Amino acid sequence: MIEVGRICVKTAGRDAGLKCVIVDVLNDKFVLIDGETRRRKCNVFHLEPLKEVVKIKKNASHDDVKKEFEKLGLKVRETKPKPKKERQAKKRKTPEQLSVQKEEKKKLRDIFKLKSKDAVKDKVKEMENKSGSLEEKAGLVDKSKEIKADKKEPQEEKASKPAKKSDKKK
Amino acid sequence: MVERFKRSRSLRKVKVKVPGGSTVVHYRRRKPKGAKCGNCSATLKGIPRERPIKMTKMAKTKKRPERPYGGNLCSRCMRSLIVERVRSQ
Repeated sequence: MIEVGRICVKTAGRDAGLKCVIVDVLNDKFVLIDGETRRRKCNVFHLEPLKEVVKIKKNASHDDVKKEFEKLGLKVRETKPKPKKERQAKKRKTPEQLSVQKEEKKKLRDIFKLKSKDAVKDKVKEMENKSGSLEEKAGLVDKSKEIKADKKEPQEEKASKPAKKSDKKK
Repeated sequence: MVERFKRSRSLRKVKVKVPGGSTVVHYRRRKPKGAKCGNCSATLKGIPRERPIKMTKMAKTKKRPERPYGGNLCSRCMRSLIVERVRSQ
């Protein structure tokens, strides 16, 4: 009963109840099947052979099985393999290109170095301007006097503000 | 007096070890019965025994075997049914 071209029904697994054809007999236990089911190895005990036999060669391709099944009025399971994407091979740079690249990198590096040096110098200058004399740094100057002087200033500002508003009203 | 639901056996007791080190009894709802084959009433394999809330959260492929009549018939009954149908044709 188990021979190439024999149509069977699969009785186990997720393809159970679907018709298939034996494409190859691997050994006394296993066969290769194709058709409504997936093309796969299958245990003989998981197949129920039918009376029909199809003329196909041993290890026939999926297309051949498809043709035979269409004659019987059966549809074949189509599994779409993913199309292979062609990867572009990386081109190696010529020594001339590499030398040009190195020079560009050097230029950039020099520019950034100069910038960084200028920035450091500017910062130092700013710090010097901000900080007053050494006495202030040490905290020897009376802070209470400075605070009083600061407080007086806002009062003067407040007095000046309403005057401005009154001008606007006029 | 003990609470009413604690006196009945409608809820199952689960001993839980709390962070303090002592064991405490927690009351949880019982799991439903396992699924049975529609033909031979054998317990079906590959079907989790969980409450409906958990079952809804599960994926479809985790709830039943992926074959015809999966989750309704056992594999043996399914096979015999298919063979019977094929032979009768």
